[in-house]
Amino acid sequence: MIEVRNLERRFGEVVAVDGVSFTAADGRITGLLGPNGAGKTTTLRTLYGLLRPDAGAATIDGIDAVAEPLAVQRRIGVLPDAHGLYVRLTVREHLRYVGELHGLDGDAIASSIERLVARLDMGEIIDRRVEGFSTGERMKVAVGRALVHDPPNLLLDEPTRGLDVMSTRAMRDLIRQLRADGKCVLFSSHVMQEVSALCDEIVIVARGRAVAHGTPDELCQRAGEDDLEEAFVRIIGSDEGLQ
Amino acid sequence: MSARQSGFGGQLRAVFRKEVLDALRDRRSLMSALLYPILMPLMITVVFGAVARLQGSERPLEVPIVGQDRAPNLVAWLEERGVVIQDPPADPDAAVRDGDVDLVLVIDEDYGEQFRSVEPAVVRIVHDSSRTASLSSIRRTRNLLRGYSSEVGLLRLLARGVSPGVMQAVRVDDLDLATPAQTAARFFSMLPMFLILGSFIGGLNVAIDTTAGERERQSLEPLLVNPVSRSALTAGKWLTTTVFSLASAWLTLAAFVFMMRFVPLEDLEMQLSLGGQQLLLMAVACGPMALFASSLQMFVATFARSFKEAQTYVNLLIFVPMIPGMVAQVYPLQPAMWMMLVPALSHQLLLIDVMGGEPVTALNLALSAVATTALGAAFFGMTARMLRQERIVFGRG
Repeated sequence: MIEVRNLERRFGEVVAVDGVSFTAADGRITGLLGPNGAGKTTTLRTLYGLLRPDAGAATIDGIDAVAEPLAVQRRIGVLPDAHGLYVRLTVREHLRYVGELHGLDGDAIASSIERLVARLDMGEIIDRRVEGFSTGERMKVAVGRALVHDPPNLLLDEPTRGLDVMSTRAMRDLIRQLRADGKCVLFSSHVMQEVSALCDEIVIVARGRAVAHGTPDELCQRAGEDDLEEAFVRIIGSDEGLQ
Repeated sequence: MSARQSGFGGQLRAVFRKEVLDALRDRRSLMSALLYPILMPLMITVVFGAVARLQGSERPLEVPIVGQDRAPNLVAWLEERGVVIQDPPADPDAAVRDGDVDLVLVIDEDYGEQFRSVEPAVVRIVHDSSRTASLSSIRRTRNLLRGYSSEVGLLRLLARGVSPGVMQAVRVDDLDLATPAQTAARFFSMLPMFLILGSFIGGLNVAIDTTAGERERQSLEPLLVNPVSRSALTAGKWLTTTVFSLASAWLTLAAFVFMMRFVPLEDLEMQLSLGGQQLLLMAVACGPMALFASSLQMFVATFARSFKEAQTYVNLLIFVPMIPGMVAQVYPLQPAMWMMLVPALSHQLLLIDVMGGEPVTALNLALSAVATTALGAAFFGMTARMLRQERIVFGRG
């Protein structure tokens, strides 16, 4: 379970996150939806322990991400905003590295890799060096890295960015599978279709604030719109009107 | 399946293994570690080989003489000293100007008469001082003639009952205290510099690639989301860089020793004998140096804003350890205690002593090793601390 309470963070003059609060439950897919620059990445980076908030709290399974980042990192799998690979290493070597950093032994890593090869359909590329991989293949490696240690919580920063239709569908299936496994999945996106197709819960973020929170239906009701996209525009737009 | 608590050692091993694998597959990292140790000694060998050949090539001096019959004693004297007397060219001036001969010695027509009447008898060296190739022949001819002149002069004084010492107000005696081994060590005082350089160049690319490169390739953030302590992470990368750095220094040493066998040292009147113990001492002294160079380079590369900037800084850094070596070439350093605390400088001094066959005190060795390693550890600590800073992890605009 992921909880964010009144999170605030500024970079110099710029207020990136201005009091965001939300909860993401286990066995559910929670989407952080908002335009670019709304504060989604900053919120996620605080959750996985790489940014310190100015105020507020971020906890995962009850553990404070600021006070105990390593303990939190043991319980999460992350697809960060930047997901660069080591071009001279094979996919297997990438996955093994992460497994070792998490303290898994050789057997556990091997069986985990076997599981991921099936789940992410990586049979053909598992022993190839990642140099020259397509965006979809690179994304598989990056996602595999987040899953090697089978974490109970997943934080995915724009998991479908740059993917073609087939890869996007595969990613959606994967996220649903993770939900079926009982995991807490939190992902960010600025793509409406993505969020509406997948999410049990949506947190709409704009200008550093969580402006709305609920199931897709609830959000539509609240905005008085049938269509989630209209609801989104109305919610964001009304926020603009308020200022 | 929940992850076991992973200890420092396991994480360090994981990082080390990954970075070594990565670096071994990187042609640039391999080149910087391997190419230098082979090229540098090769260059030295070629240069020294050329010098030795030049010095060893004392060809017999050939002197064409005009009017040989006017000074038979002089000609005989020269021949006794190994000079090859040649018949003069038809036009001496033209022959010298065209470079056909280095010089022509002309015995003056009045030479015999002047000699007999104890006036300075005139011989002329026709030469072209702008031709460097003939300078050696000219110098040797002039010295020989001067020798003949003073020999005859002394005999004349003796014949008149005057002590030859009257002619000599000051006698200059050369007393060269340098042992041949020291002379050799002075010549080879460049080797320490090359070893220090080797430890700076060997790990250079790895140091940049594992720090600034990691950030530039956007793989730092995915790495740092893992529950790995910054110390274990930095230590694994440090160790990798050190291995490459040390490998390069040791290869330099090995290549040097190997190639020295092809340099005719006897021609340089030098003796350079590096025994097993000396080689071992030199190899050991490279250890702390490699640790220091690696952590300094990683610190600088981590601090740099970009990969390019890191390359610029780290490459400039190579010149710093060269300074003691350069100074030692011009101005032989008198070792003092404080110098043992300065990395590179202490190694320069220690290595020169080892090579010169001088005793090296355990205290100096220990001081140098401890000071250098401690400085390396300080840079390591600062690098690990930097990896906790947001502006370092996510870059500065």
